Amino acid sequence: MDSRETILSSIRKHLAASPPDDQPKPVFPESVVAPAAKSLVDLFKENVEAVNGHCIVTRDVSQAVTRIITDLGARKIAVSDTPPSAEEIFEYDVGITGAQAAIAETGTLVLDSAREKHRLASLVPPVHIAIVDASSIFQTLAEALAFIHQNGDISPAVTFITGPSRTADIELTLAIGVHGPQELYVIVNQGPSLSH
Amino acid sequence: MNHLSSETFGENAKAALADTQLRGALRHATSLFGKRRLEAARSLSNWEDLRTEARAIKDEVLLHLDRYLETFTANAEKRGAVVHWARDAAEANEIICGLARQRNARTIVKSKSMTTEETHLNDALEAAGMQVVETDLGEYIIQLAHETPSHIIAPAIHKTKGQIAELFTATLGMAPTEDVAQLTSTARATLRDRFAAADAGISGVNFGVAETGTIVIVENEGNIRLTTSLPRIHIAVMGIEKVIPRFADLDVFLKLLPRSGTGQRLTTYQSFITGTKRNASDEGPEELHIVILDNGRSRMLAHPLTRQSLACIRCGACLNACPVYQQVGGHAYGSVYPGPIGAVITPQLIGIEKTAQLPYASSLCGACREVCPVKIDIPRLLLHLRAEVAAGPKGNAMERMVFKIWARVMMSPSLYKLGSRAGRMMQRVMPLSRAWTSGRDLRPIERQSFRDLWKTKYGQ
Repeated sequence: MDSRETILSSIRKHLAASPPDDQPKPVFPESVVAPAAKSLVDLFKENVEAVNGHCIVTRDVSQAVTRIITDLGARKIAVSDTPPSAEEIFEYDVGITGAQAAIAETGTLVLDSAREKHRLASLVPPVHIAIVDASSIFQTLAEALAFIHQNGDISPAVTFITGPSRTADIELTLAIGVHGPQELYVIVNQGPSLSH
Repeated sequence: MNHLSSETFGENAKAALADTQLRGALRHATSLFGKRRLEAARSLSNWEDLRTEARAIKDEVLLHLDRYLETFTANAEKRGAVVHWARDAAEANEIICGLARQRNARTIVKSKSMTTEETHLNDALEAAGMQVVETDLGEYIIQLAHETPSHIIAPAIHKTKGQIAELFTATLGMAPTEDVAQLTSTARATLRDRFAAADAGISGVNFGVAETGTIVIVENEGNIRLTTSLPRIHIAVMGIEKVIPRFADLDVFLKLLPRSGTGQRLTTYQSFITGTKRNASDEGPEELHIVILDNGRSRMLAHPLTRQSLACIRCGACLNACPVYQQVGGHAYGSVYPGPIGAVITPQLIGIEKTAQLPYASSLCGACREVCPVKIDIPRLLLHLRAEVAAGPKGNAMERMVFKIWARVMMSPSLYKLGSRAGRMMQRVMPLSRAWTSGRDLRPIERQSFRDLWKTKYGQ
């Protein structure tokens, strides 16, 4: 008997030996999501800022991006569509990616590998600039989970990002930018969609 | 103070109580974690419903665990993952060492995984001649210090920044500083080189979704993303209990886990990994191997009570809430999993003989049960394990006899009356057993019983 069969038959044997559970089966109410008190864009912005991210709401994305890059004095910029190799990306100052969706209640970006082929641009450079369409912002986590799992399919790699990289492993003191970026700029595009 | 044994919990605890630096670090960390958890739980109006729902989902999985594991495996393999099954720690380590050896891996980056702590994977890989680097900051600190984690989600919780600064100065040649940002960036710079050189990445798994074959891993630092996307091969290790039925169930667990663990609404990163990449030119590893580990878990299915232990999602909330853990910390337990859940899991994983003291490392106050996001009845489980200890060779025959008599007396009104009268007389001449009373307040029996008092006041 191989290990798989050994483990499965051990599971079956022990379950069969178990006396019935006397716990009553729980009944729980349908979860009702209260509509957000403010616009999804405002709620999203508030929550991105609550986790130490910057959020810019604009109709002119290229101007916003240019401004951030100029202000930072960044020289090497990796874009997720045409990225440098995995070895080279360690040398870059800024990474720019899109986000296929966002969650307003948590300030979260959703990067799907089907569209965002090079997600290392969102992780390795010290600054990450993410662009998301205002119309792609969901209110809840449940909606975002349903979005990435449509028609029973899911991309090989989906990443949720909420704020810049952080740790509190030393005396629970917050330190921003441990393995990932120190700065996260989220640009919410209120203009025509850039995703096509 | 490292590598203590569970068999000497009492002595370990005494030593920990004398360590003022440790107790300061613990007080700070556990109270802060506790406060943040409470605030985060209160931010959701349906927290209690979520706990109930999470437990119901876990119960459903555990009752049909064979089926869900098979579905998970079939779906993960359909998407290009290779699934391995390991009966115990030795087999898991053998599989992983074999995979690394076949690919001539020399440098291996690892993200935090309690399951691989349980199997002592690092020792096995090092014995096979490979260099293993822990990349979670807390894990990296304790790896440099040659210690073991003292908390499920904050492995270096027992160390002060002064101690960490000394460690970095001695091992990494850092200029002395106690600035946390500086310490963090020193670790970042050192670890970046290791990531760039890594031949293989090893991670744990928070949830395995049967419906899609997806593994979900949560983190704050970004080291899991690097570990699972830079090297050519990714090996993920998961206990059999990590599987959940449906993708949509993640909504419940991703609300409960970060709030219970760190008090966050969501951790910075969630990685949802489903099989391997679709095109060779895409980012990400070429191979994904998932090692499913039993190592004593399937035994726990044999009783509804012990089965609960497998519902645990490793958030660490019960550690922070426990008055025993708050005072003695994780190392005193002498086990990979410390705190209340550790005292429940460890005896079941490695046998009650070597861990007979752990079920007693609790005041049974119930704080752990209050905070548990999946409502595990830890105090009841501890009592269940204590009964097992008491009935076994480590049980005290005298204690057994005393409680047998006690039970008889308590069930009979006349014996009870007689007993309390005898006790009242005896307590003047004979002190109670020292072992029992030295750590407990036991009030002397009142001079007059309630019945007698009633009789004198109100007649018959």
